[in-house]
Order: sequence, then structure tokens, then C-alpha cells
Amino acid sequence: MLNYTLRRLLMVIPTLLILVVFAFYLMRLAPGGPFTSERPLPPAVMANVLERYGMDEPLHVQLWTYIRNILCCFDFGPSFAQKDRTVNDVIAQGFPVTLTYGFWSAVFVLLLGIPLGIVAALKHNGFWDYTMTGLAIFSQIFPNFVLAPILVLLFTLSWGLLPGGGWNGGQWQYVVMPAIALGTSYMASVARLTRGSMLEVLGSPYIRTARAKGLPERTVILRHALKPALLPTLTYMGPVFVYMITGSVFVDVFFSTGGIGQDFIDGAYSRDYSILLGLAILYAVLTFALTLMVDLLYAWIDPKVRAGLS
Amino acid sequence: MLSVETLRIRFRTGDGLVHAVNDVSFRVGAGEKLAIVGESGSGKSQMALAVMGLLAKNAEAEGRVLWEGRDLLTLPPAEMNRIRAREIAIVFQDPMSSLNPYMRIERQLTEIVEQHEGLGRAAARARALEVMDAVRIPEARARLRAYPHELSGGMHQRIVIAMALMCRPKLILADEPTTALDVTVQAQIMQLLSEVQRDLGTSVVLITHDLGVVAGFCEEVIVLYGGRIMEQAATLPLFERPAHPYTRGLLRAVPNVEDPADELIAIPGSPPSQRAFPTRCPFAPRCVDAIESCRLTLPELTGGRACLRPVEELT
Repeated sequence: MLNYTLRRLLMVIPTLLILVVFAFYLMRLAPGGPFTSERPLPPAVMANVLERYGMDEPLHVQLWTYIRNILCCFDFGPSFAQKDRTVNDVIAQGFPVTLTYGFWSAVFVLLLGIPLGIVAALKHNGFWDYTMTGLAIFSQIFPNFVLAPILVLLFTLSWGLLPGGGWNGGQWQYVVMPAIALGTSYMASVARLTRGSMLEVLGSPYIRTARAKGLPERTVILRHALKPALLPTLTYMGPVFVYMITGSVFVDVFFSTGGIGQDFIDGAYSRDYSILLGLAILYAVLTFALTLMVDLLYAWIDPKVRAGLS
Repeated sequence: MLSVETLRIRFRTGDGLVHAVNDVSFRVGAGEKLAIVGESGSGKSQMALAVMGLLAKNAEAEGRVLWEGRDLLTLPPAEMNRIRAREIAIVFQDPMSSLNPYMRIERQLTEIVEQHEGLGRAAARARALEVMDAVRIPEARARLRAYPHELSGGMHQRIVIAMALMCRPKLILADEPTTALDVTVQAQIMQLLSEVQRDLGTSVVLITHDLGVVAGFCEEVIVLYGGRIMEQAATLPLFERPAHPYTRGLLRAVPNVEDPADELIAIPGSPPSQRAFPTRCPFAPRCVDAIESCRLTLPELTGGRACLRPVEELT
């Protein structure tokens, strides 16, 4: 198992390298650059600016400098569009924000989605099942840009319970609505996924065996059915969790939370190459980490997978 | 001990009712071994599930299943749970899928006695080892740590039988215990069941489609067709002088090793649709000896056979 983990970690290095090279060249294929504007800069000024950011060198030299700086000093370079800020600054400021509301959003998704799915499966074709399925479909077709204004309308404007935006260092009142707006449709998916897999597990022969042992239904569900029923949800949540903690553009813009979702979009508009590249690397590393975690959790739950790993 | 009285099992399906078991009655006394024989779809497994209270949600059971005077069909779930595994245990058809693949063998065995006898881990473990020994599982201690996928099919079935024996039940329902196994392993498992039965004095209801398995094991046989009892008799007479044309057909479809020239004769046609409660002999459409009245009336079980033209009257 340890062996497997180390092998997976080693594979991160070449993969990241490929990612960096591809992203580096692809971005520069896009028309324009960080310093193009409607009124072109005088050629002398442009040359100065390019030289200051090292963009007068050939591309492969720029790439090499970029990689070298990362390896030696963990330096992802200056932002091209945001004056006097480095990529490290931008991520250090924005990532904790999205990490916070993304994490709580994931907690909301799991704590609500899984029990809802289980209850629906246990009351298969009953009142709670239909209610849950209805709710799930409702929130899945309800995009967050519709849900968020409604939340603000109710919680901020009508009842005055929660602030309608801002971050304020991540006080809980500021986290609640971004987390809910971001998570609701995922929560619905998790509920439906859990319901489906729980129904399948409950119909399996080994659950019948467990019942034939005279175990109370609670024990049958918790001891025998829960683990296998959660496997599809686990697979689903890996990439979704990455998506959540790296934030959503919409949430950042709508609630003015100042997370990196906003930075990504700004960076794309202003051709801020270093920000885009830095964020791409962050997403990649998180994706690696989360998929590895999901695989290890899988191995922990399923002995067959575990046997395959060692 | 167990007395099944006019048991009917129906399933509500998308295309209407399916009558799986129709007015079946039988009794099993202490230490007795009864075989229920029938082809697939004859309702034999559903009867076992009905006794255990494990019928699917879309099933309805009528009649009575009396266990030491109490009707299992109307027993509240908590009381039913006290009978399951402790008094009546079941060995399921497919051992490979009957074990929980995510749980160690140890837990799957010990949880039974922890539940029913309140034993602690250590005592439960000791019982598990004892029972595994009884069903001849070698290296039992190491097997306790194993997961199901690490064991062979025959070993699975031994574990499943060990599960059934954990609380020394009074009755074991063995639902096609050997169907999923290799022929050589089948013989070992049957041998094992019969030894266990002899040693513990447990009653056994053996549900099977394989008459060969029945011959050496059970004293009494019920032949089921279309959810009704066709014939009920002691094993030897049944094999020597089958009274019902269906029983005769079944016996003819079993190969005879001693006589290679013996031709296998299949029963023509296929099992009946069970959309309606039978109003005539369910076997009549496939029966070569059927007469007009077979197609009009439903023969009652009298003298051990439900047939208007039993074999001995034909000659």
C-alpha cells in the first residue's frame, strides 16, 4: 500500500511537467497578451515592459526560467496584470477563501446528501422517497445563479439574518450562503447517487443473508449496507471536491468573496499568463491529491481493491 | 415443529399477479429430513423465504406457517429476528454472493452469536472456530481473518453452512446448497450436511431440483410443480414407484450411470405461466397421460399424490 502511494506520488512529477509545458505554449497561442490594449503602448515603452517581465526572450528560455524559479525558490513569478503582486500573493490571499467555503460546502453536501439518499432508499417508493427525489430534481435544475439571488433575497433582504456578500476574514455568517449556493446541486446529485446505490446494495444477496441472521434492520444497514453503498458517492466526490475548494467564479463574483475563482476569470481576460499557469498547477496538484485519497479510501473499504494494490 | 398450512404466495408485478405458491401444506418434525423438489419457478425457494420472513416487498403470503405454535407470517419483526438463525437458519443458493464481500469472515460469523446469545468477542470467536472445525474448514484461525474473495466456492459454502450452525438451530432450510458448486464439491457438502444433521439432531428441509442429491439424504420428498404439491411420499417408494406422471418424468430426466443405454427423456413443454390461480392440474398441458378431466379440475392431494390418473392406474 505504501509502495503504491509512493509510486502514485512519483507519477505526479512527469505529469505536472507535461501540464506546465502544454499550458505554457497553449496560452501564448491565444491572441493578444497581458500588455495589449485598445490604445497600443509606444514601442519603446512596450519594449521596456516586455524586458521587465522577461518576455523579450525566446519562449523556451522563458519556460525554462519559469520552471527553474519554481524548483529553486517556489517562485511562480509576478502577476502580469495585477501590479506589484506575485502569483504566490494572489493564491495566498484567494485560496484560503475558496478553500473555506468550498470545504463547508462539501460538508453540507455530504451531511445532507448522504442521509437524504439513505432515507429515500429505505422508504423506497414511499412519501419520503418521492419528496426527496422531487427536491433533488428541483435543486438540480435550479442553477446557482438563480438560487443565490433567492438566498440573498430571503436571508439578507427579508429576514436580515446574513450578510449579502463580502468575506470579512471568513466569519461563519459570510460562509453560509456561498457554501449553500455552491453545494446545492451537488447535494442533490449525492442524494440521488446514494439512493440508487443503497437500493442496489439492499437488494443484494449478502444483505438478505444479514437479515436471515436475525440482525436488527439498523445493524443490517449500518454494518452491512452503508460502506458499499457509499462507494459511488466517494468516486463522485473526488473531482467535485477539487472543484469546490478551488471555488466557483459565480460565487466569488456574486458574493464578492474574493476567492481564486474570480482571479482565474480575471487572469483569462487580461492574459495574465503567470496567474493562469499558477492556478492550473494548483488545480492539478489538488486533483492528484484528491484522486489519490479517493483511491486509498476505496482500498480501505473494498478488500478486493486493497489486494490489487499490494 | 414446523407446520406449513395452505401457504399461498403471490407477487404483484408490472403485468399483474404471479401465483408462485398455491395452497401448499407440509410438516417437519424434530430431526426429520424433508426434500422439496421442483424445477426453477416451481416456488420452492419462495417457500423457504416465506418461512424466514424474507419475501420480497411485492410478495404477499397467505395461510399459516406455524413454528412451535406461533404463526411466523404474522410475527412482529423483532420477534421474527429472535427466531432467525437462532431457531431456524437458512443456507442460501449462491454461496459466492451470500457473503458480504466487504467484511472479514470472522465478523460475519461472530455477529450471529453476539446478537442472539450476547457473547463477547472472544467467546464468539471461540464458537466460530468450533463451528468451522465442525464443517471441516482447515486452518480456521487464518480463515477468520480472510475476506470472501480469498476463498474458493466450496469454502464459501462451508462458511455459509457454518453461519447456519452458529446458534445450533432446530431447523435448517438448505436452499439448493450445492447448485453453484462443482460436482465433487457437491458430494462433500452433502456429506457434511448429513453428518451435521446426524450429530446435532437438527431438522433439515432440503430444497433442490436435483433428485440425485435427495436420494441419499432425505426420508421424505415433496414434488412441487407450478407452486402446488404434485406428490408427497417417502423417498424410496417415490423413487421406485413414482405415482405422479410428473415425478416419473423427473426421474426419467436423471441420467443413470449403471445403464449407459438408458435414454434420457425430457418432459415436453415448459413450466406453466402462473398468472392465474390454477383451476386445473398445472401439469396437464405437458402430461402425456392427461385426460379431459385433468384439464377441467384441480386434483386434490390425496394419498400422497395430486393426480387424477396416477401411474399405477394406467397399466
